[in-house]
Formats: sequence, C-alpha cells, structure tokens
Amino acid sequence: MDAVYFLVQQMMFFSIPLLIVALGGMFSERSGVVNIALEGIMVSGAFTSILLISNLQSGMSGQLLLLIAIVVAIVTGALFSLLHAYAAISLRSDQTISGTALNMIAPASAIYLARMIQPNGVQQVQFTNTFRIEKVPLLGDIPVLGRLLFQNAYITTYIGLLIFVIAAFVLYRTRFGLRLRACGEHPQAADSVGINVYRIRYAGVLISGALAGLGGLVYVIPTSTNFNATVSGYGFLALAVLIFGQWKPLRILGAAFFFGLMKTISSAYSGIPFLRDLGIPSDIYKMVPFIATLIALAFTSKRSQAPRASGVPYDKGLR
Amino acid sequence: MSDYIIEMLNITKDFPGIRANDNITLQLRRGEIHALLGENGAGKSTLMSILFGLYQAEEGEIRKDGKPVQVRDPNDANALGIGMVHQHFKLVHNFTVLENIVLGVETTQHGMLRMEEARQKVMALSQQYGLLIKPDALIEDITVGMQQRVEILKMLYRDNEILIFDEPTAVLTPQEIDELMRIMRSLAAEGKSILFITHKLAEIMAVADRCTVLRKGKYIGTVDVKSSSPQELAEMMVGRKVDFKIDKEPAQPGESALRVRGLSVEGSHGDKKAVNNVSFDVHKGEIVCIAGIDGNGQSELVYAITGLLPSTGEIKLNDAAIDHQPIRKRNTAGLAHIPEDRHKHGLVLDYDLQQNLSLKRYKTEEMQRRGLIRFDKVRAYAEELIDRFDIRSGQGPVTSARSMSGGNQQKAIIAREIDINPEVLIAVQPTRGLDVGAMLYIHEQLVRVRDEGKAILLISLELDEVFQLADRILVIYEGEIVAELDPKQTTPQELGLYMSGSKRQEVHA
Amino acid sequence: MSNLRKSLSSMSASLVAILAGLVAGFVILLFSNPANAGKGLLTILIGGWNNGMKGVGQVLYYATPIIMTGLAVGFAFKTGMFNIGATGQLMVGGFVSIYVGVTWTFLPGAFHWIVALLMGMLAGMAWGMIVGVFKALLNVHEVITSIMLNYIALYGINYLVKNSNLFDSLRNQTVNVAATAVIPKAGLDKIFYITKGRLNDVSSVNAGILIAIALAILMYILLNKTTFGFELKACGYNRHASRYAGISENRAIITSMAIAGGLSGIAGALMYLAPASGLHIHMEEVLAAQGFTGIAVALLGMSNPIGIIFSGLFIAHITVGGFYLQSLKYMKEIIEVIIGLIIYFSAFSLLVRDLIAKAGKRRAKKGNQPSKQEAVS
Repeated sequence: MDAVYFLVQQMMFFSIPLLIVALGGMFSERSGVVNIALEGIMVSGAFTSILLISNLQSGMSGQLLLLIAIVVAIVTGALFSLLHAYAAISLRSDQTISGTALNMIAPASAIYLARMIQPNGVQQVQFTNTFRIEKVPLLGDIPVLGRLLFQNAYITTYIGLLIFVIAAFVLYRTRFGLRLRACGEHPQAADSVGINVYRIRYAGVLISGALAGLGGLVYVIPTSTNFNATVSGYGFLALAVLIFGQWKPLRILGAAFFFGLMKTISSAYSGIPFLRDLGIPSDIYKMVPFIATLIALAFTSKRSQAPRASGVPYDKGLR
Repeated sequence: MSDYIIEMLNITKDFPGIRANDNITLQLRRGEIHALLGENGAGKSTLMSILFGLYQAEEGEIRKDGKPVQVRDPNDANALGIGMVHQHFKLVHNFTVLENIVLGVETTQHGMLRMEEARQKVMALSQQYGLLIKPDALIEDITVGMQQRVEILKMLYRDNEILIFDEPTAVLTPQEIDELMRIMRSLAAEGKSILFITHKLAEIMAVADRCTVLRKGKYIGTVDVKSSSPQELAEMMVGRKVDFKIDKEPAQPGESALRVRGLSVEGSHGDKKAVNNVSFDVHKGEIVCIAGIDGNGQSELVYAITGLLPSTGEIKLNDAAIDHQPIRKRNTAGLAHIPEDRHKHGLVLDYDLQQNLSLKRYKTEEMQRRGLIRFDKVRAYAEELIDRFDIRSGQGPVTSARSMSGGNQQKAIIAREIDINPEVLIAVQPTRGLDVGAMLYIHEQLVRVRDEGKAILLISLELDEVFQLADRILVIYEGEIVAELDPKQTTPQELGLYMSGSKRQEVHA
Repeated sequence: MSNLRKSLSSMSASLVAILAGLVAGFVILLFSNPANAGKGLLTILIGGWNNGMKGVGQVLYYATPIIMTGLAVGFAFKTGMFNIGATGQLMVGGFVSIYVGVTWTFLPGAFHWIVALLMGMLAGMAWGMIVGVFKALLNVHEVITSIMLNYIALYGINYLVKNSNLFDSLRNQTVNVAATAVIPKAGLDKIFYITKGRLNDVSSVNAGILIAIALAILMYILLNKTTFGFELKACGYNRHASRYAGISENRAIITSMAIAGGLSGIAGALMYLAPASGLHIHMEEVLAAQGFTGIAVALLGMSNPIGIIFSGLFIAHITVGGFYLQSLKYMKEIIEVIIGLIIYFSAFSLLVRDLIAKAGKRRAKKGNQPSKQEAVS
C-alpha cells in the first residue's frame, strides 16, 4: 500500500506539468493555431522563474517565493509566445516555422544568459527546494486520500488541478470558450457574426504560452535542484498528450495521468519490491511510457479529429 | 425621411488583379424585395459583402435612411440592422443549432453562457415565421434545408431589418423554393427590407419588386419587375440576346455502358445508408441525369462508382466488373469524372496548368520514360488542350492553377476528362459557377460526347440544365432511386414532387 | 504569379531573414560585450576560415549530417508531413551502422563501410516507415508517433549498447568501429588542413560530404523529374485530388516516410562512421541535436534539396564560426540563438514577398500611364 501512495505522489510530479502544458496547447489549437513551441516556452518560463528563485532565496523561501516565481513563469511564457502569435496570426506564416524558431531560441538563450549573468559563468541555475509540503494540515490526515494527495506534495499540484477545472469550464461554459472553439472550427462563420478571429487566436496562443511557462517551472521544481536549460522533451510529450486527449480537457487529464503513471513506474520502480525483483533493466522501463502511448494510440485513433481550422492561417480576404 | 432605407452609392471594390465592383449604385426601398441579378463573377456577392461589413470598399458611400454610415465589420452591420444569409453557410459543424444562432450575440452573466432566454426567443421566432428547427441538433447532422432555416433565424434573432439572401435557392426543391418565397413575402409584409442575390430569372419574376442588374462588376440598370420580362432581364445580365436552347438530336441509345446493381454506401452518421440498393443503367449514346436535392446520396453514389468511397453491390463498365477495383484501374478502364468540388478533387491548386492537365495521363508511355517525366510532351499536350477548349490563363501551361478563374479551372478539368475519350463520363454539377457562355459551350461538348456513342451520367441541381441535357431523368431521394422520367413528358413541378419524396414510382432496374 | 517567380521571391525572403537574424545577433553581442561585438560578428561571418582550410573542412564535416537530416525533413514536408522524428531515425541508423562497423569485420575493406552505411540507411528507413504506417493505416498523427519513436530509439539504443560488445564502459560510450568501416577520406584530407609546426592538422572532413551532396541532387531529381515525385508532391498538396487521380495515398505516405527515414539513417551512419573523429554514441539521455537542426535546415532551404545543401552549409558555417567566439568572451550558444532568429524571420517571408510584389507593380505602373477612370460622382 505504501508503494501505491508513493506512486501516486510521484505521479503528480510528472502528470501535472504535462496536464498544464497540454491544456495550454488545447487553447491554442482549439482557436486554430498549432503551437509546437511548447517545449521552448516551457524552457523560457522555467529559466526566468528559477533564476528568480535562485537569486531571491537568500532572503525568502517557501510558498511565497514559489508564488512569485509562478507569476514570473506565467508572464515570461505569455510574452515569449507573443512571438509565435505574431508570426502565425498577423503574418499568417507557416505555424511550424515560428514554433521551431522558439524551440531553438529558448534553450540557447537560457544557456547564454545563464553563463553571462551567473557568477563564474556557470550554465546551471541552482536553487534550493523549500517548497515541498510534508503534509497539508487537516486534509493530510484523511485516511487514504490524505496520503495520496495531501502529503509530500506541492501547491503547484493543486494549482494544476484547479487550472484543469477552470479550463474545462471556460472552454464549454463561457462566451469566450464558445467563440474560441468557433474560431478553431470555422473562422469564417465566427468572422461573419462579428467575432474578431485574430484577437481570439492571440488570446488562445497567449494562454498556451502562460500555461506552458508555468508548466516549465512546475516540471523542474519537484524533480531536481537545478535548471539546465532543458525540459527533457516535456513540451513535445505535452503535444502528444494533447493529441491523445483529442483536444478535450477530460481526456487530456486522463492522458496526462496515464503517461505520468508510466513515467513514474519507469523511474521509481526500484522502490517497488515486486517490480524490482523482476530484474528488468532501467532503460527498458524508460521506454515503457512511449511504447504504451503508441499502442494506445494505435487502437484509438481511427476517429481522431483535430479542430478543423487548426493550422490554417486565417485570411479575411479569402472566401 | 428618405425614400430609401439603404443606399450604396458609387461603390468601387478592387481585389488583386480585378475590379470586382466598378462604381455601382444600389438603392433599397423600405419593405421591398429587391433582387440583385448577374452571372457568376458579376460582383453581386462582393457588393453585398461590403454592405455586410465583410469587405471595405475602395470608394463610395453607404447610407441608411439618408444618413451616411460606416460598416467596418459585421458588428457594425448588425448594429444597423443588416443581416445576411450566405451562399455557403457559415455554420460551425459541431455546434448545435442554438449555439450557432446565438454565436456572436450570446446572452451572458459574468461571461458565462445563459442559454434559456435565447432558447425561448429562438423557438418563438421559429413558430412565428414557420421555420422548423431542432435547437439541440448538431449542424453536421441536419439537412441542408434546415441549415438554411438556421441561417435565417440567425438574422431574425438579431432583429435585423434589412435581410440579404445570397443565392438561397441553390439547395432547394421547387416546393421549398415556393416556401422560401412565401417566407420572404411575409417578412416584407412585416416591414423587413430584402435584398436577394440570384441568377435565376424565374424566382425574380415570382417574388421581386425591383431588380438591379450587374455585369462584370458594372452597374447595368434597375428595372421594375412587373413591367419587365425574363428575356429583358437575361439580355441585361449577359449583354446580348440569349438563346437558351441548344441543338440536340434525339438520343440513339445502344447497349449498356455502365451497369449498377444493388449499390449501397454506408452513411457517415449512424446506421442510415447514404445510398440504398440502387440499380440503373446508362447506355452508350445517352445522357442520364440524376436529379435530386443536394444531400440525398448523389455525391456518395458518384464516389462509389468512381472508387472514392467503398460500396457493396455490382458495378460494371462495358461488362467488366469494376466494383472492387482501385481508382486507377477504373480510370484506365474508361471512366472519367468531372467532380463536384473542383478544388477538392479536380485540381491540385499548387501545381500548374500543364501538371493538372496531365494528372491522369502522367503514367502513360507518352508522358514518361522509365519513370522520368517527359516535360516536352506534357507541355505539348497542355498547349493542345488549351487551344481546343479555349482555356484562359495568365501564363499558359505554366500558370499556377490557383491563380486561374473558377470558370477556366472548370474548363481545364472538363478538357482533361473529355480528352481521355472515356467510355463513361460522370459529370457532377459541371457548369456550377460558370457564366452563360461557358455553360452553353460545356453543354455542347457533353452532347457531342454523347453523339460519339459514349455514355454520360450527369448529376445536376439546376433544373434548367436537367431538362436541357437529359435523355432520361432518374430522381434520387434519401439514397434511393424513386422515379424514372422522360424530360419531354414531365414538368419541373412534378420533378420537384419526386425530389422532395412526396411522390414515388415503382422503378424497375 | 508563375512558380518561378514565386521561388525567386521566396529565396530573397530567406536571404532577408538571414540578414535580419545576423543583425539581431549583432545587437545581442553588443549588449553582452560591446567592446568585441564587431569582431564577434566578423568571426561568425568568417566561419570556418577562422582556422584556414582546416576550418573550412570542419564546416563541410558538420554540414554533412545536417544536410542529410535537412533532406529527411524537407522531403517529408514536400509530401505533406512533418518529420519531427528525424532524430530517432538518425540514432537508429547510427547505431546499426556502428554495430556493423564493429562486428561485421568479416567483410573486406572496401565493402565494410559501404555495407555499414547501407544497413544504417535500412534501419532508418524501417524507423521512418513505422511513422508512415501508423499514419496511413491507423490514422495516428505523425508528430506523436515520431516523438514516441524518438524516445524509444534513445532508450532502446542505450540498452542495446550497454548489453553488447559495443560498450566502452570506461568512457560510457560506444567503442571504435573497425578501420575498414570508417568512411574514406577520399583525398579530402589533402585539401583541408593547416600546418602546425611540422605536422599537418587535418580536418575530419571525409567522403561523407560528397555522399550528402550527391544524395541531395538525387532527391531533387526524384522530386521534380520523376512520376514518383509527381505523385508524392500531389499527395502533399492535395490528398483528395491525388486519390481522385488514382494515386494510392497510403503508399505515398509510407514510401515517403521510408525515404525520409532512410536519409536520416544515412545521416547517423555518416556521423558515426567518420574517421578517427572520436564520435561515439554517448550513453546520455539526450536526443541527437542534428535531427532538430535538420528542421531549421529544411525550413531555411525551403524544402528544396538544392536549397538544403546551401542552408546546411550556411548553418554549419556559422556554427563553426561560433566555436571561435570563446576567445572573445562570448558563448557559442549565441549561434543557436541566431539560427533560431533567422528561422523566425523567415516567417516574415509572406510579408517580404508582398512588398516585393508591390514594388514590382509600382514600377510597372510608372512605365505605362493608366487611363484615368471616370471621376467619382
């Protein structure tokens, strides 16, 4: 049973960043703009926020510092994604181009800036993790659920789940969400009823930037003590989760947890006696999440349908 | 108070390479039904799009009730009480009817959608004007007729006073057209002012008060419909006396070239079949026309015969079974196909004209040697077709297909398909979007192919074309053949009854 | 606009993007260390020449794998797919070629490296084909399949290497390949070197660059001069019309991804079979960067195989130039930032094309005075 608690706690560290970033990607693609720059935006958000933590941690610590870092990560991500938004929406260029460009610029800039700013030209940005919550008062004492969700956690986990709820609500119950979806399926229809397709798409991309930036921070905090200008392909994995989740919030949640679980098993298996005794080498475990996803996709993709206008630049002049 | 509720004065609008509207003036009286007549490409849709705020004119002025106004986007138009039902419906396919109607003018509370009020208003309007709809159905699941009613309700929901209809009858039966005319008259009686774009003279005569004619972007004139005639309107539209009839000898049908038995095609939603156990023949030397309202299975029928969709049942071309053959084999067996969507199926827009013309021939001995394209042959072939079929293009064979006009794109497709010298030619809406001259030319070509002893299967939504060309008419309704008619012995009204399912025949294979 | 006119204006847009990227890079240099900014930019522009002929040789050496992955990505683009899996295909190809290079020593000299290269190609083809099959038959988006396969390749190869005779546990990388499996220098070492004292400091350049250029030309012919290429491009432009014309869409997708995979596989083989360069597969958990650089190469080269030769050379050129920035107190990462910026600015190509077109029209209008239209009444 201990193993299960341990698994779930660890799973959150992998699933929540995937969830946040994939939800961001959902807003962008649902509005009609493909955003493959999630990886780069994650890096940019992680870099600025962790640099901030690293520099402020001598005077501050704990949740307050984390909250400030979260704000910085969100703002960085949103600003950085503005580059993609401008190229894809206002310039109507190929959305792969600006996406690829951001993926190149972000990690290189992170290394460049780190080495320029930090003393001794060190590339890695170190920080001390003062954010882990051993036990949430009251909630952590609930039998079963308490140990699953409210011990050995971070507030970012709860923020992530809150984002999920808000995202689902916004997408389906608000006017903004309705209009966003219209822009991704049939922008001409939206335009003809007076909706500003460009503005909505900018919003979609900026949301994806904000969430991806946040996701970068959320990814690094629980899993290491330094940031080395990379998020190990998580931005691309989030894309996979998005497609696997068929651009729908609930399915994205499921996909993120599925993948997170697989990843957790692959890195934490040595802590589970049953698995450890099987003697399977660690590299094989690392392949498991990806093979599992491929198999799942093979069976479920027959009726896959992306938002119809996603990836097609909107041009008012065309009919 | 001005005589006119809307005036468009001296409107000029340019697109790259073309002047779509050239100093056009249009004046709409309060409570009138005003038709805007012109051929395809005359500039009618552009003019109305300017009124609706989708485009901005380069020059000119719009006035409402005598006062100059600015219409920068559909919001402005809506604020002025102007609404538009578009030719290609602007409906989001996976939203519900209700969501589509309220999109853009949603009732909200703190940003959250409140649909109950909207639902009540929509249902009330639906009752008041007799526009039957299902508010919670998805657009992709309802009929085209209902989709059009949704578009109309969009306007009424916004309390629009000035209603623009862009080619509304393209997708309707004669009966439904009558119904639409009734709706328009009742709307006008309630004080709404209606602008109604069309190229169909009969409808103008039936319901319009006045008619403005455009030709090639220019204003030709405005007439009072009651004191005019179809001939006068047609002459204004085309610029010369128009002879609607072509010379057609009676058909001399030979043996069966295309034999279809028990053909069925699965539907895309649920368990209703798109094509249900259809059987018919097309003989050498005859033109068979399948008439029906858009969406009753004719598209799927054609896709099944050509191989673009899977099907069950028997298909024989000159006694050789082709029903399980891949598309290429059917093509080489002698099947040609002028598709209904020229941009989707008919052309690769990013290729140039010569590449498109050789799209079905590039693998022949003539056009390639050991896998390498023989560019000289490709070009020569293109030049020959361009010459014979009078295909206009900017730079000849190397013109990008995308930059060609719709009419010439269609000519290119027709040239390619006819020149294959097929045994069976399937033509779906071959003259859609073409002007009268091109249309007559294509009709002549089709008759010529028929007279050479080939079989032609024609799918058309234009009843004039059906009656002009068909030697036999088959009516399709909900995926089944419900009637076989002789064009010389039936009328458009009777045809309409079959097309709408109100009448059925016992049809023998 | 004719297609020729379109290509010319696209090329000028690429050149403008390169210029803009370099200017932006210069600005960054200025901000970081104003004193050396000018020299820094010059160093970048000089590229390989900073170290004479050897440097130039190094440029060709670095260009080799990215030209290949650029071809892999560009070829797939032309047929309508985004081959983000080039890096996995490269790794698989590299691994198999090393395997052949180390263990198939029974092959005689001249054949050994050729077979190793071919096997690497086949491995890459297979890896690419999986993506094609998943897309064509199972309707799985090629982006996810590729990403998954990238990681499966990474971890799979790590596992296979560690558990085989290919493993050099001391250095945590693969062992050297047999001498007969190394790609011959093809005399290039006689051209690209500099003298250091009494010895020749020879560049790592080898026949690989010649192979890469030859394959680029082959791909160009394939895409533009053959019926096969005609079909593939038609599928990429309009899959519906291609089906209508009788082209088998599934076959096109699968063969196209197979070819793309094969090109990447060759990239891997050329990288790891290079002579005595010390290039081995490291047991790290990092995807090979050349796969992603290939995307930049393809975009800058407008997915045209000949253009890709030049964009690959250009990116290699400034990358090598970047190595020499260290002495001027700049980090070499600035180069990647510049490349990223160049790619970003190439997104402005539509804008540039429109501006050029408008300028052209204005010039034409000045030539012939249009008859003045009637005055607005």
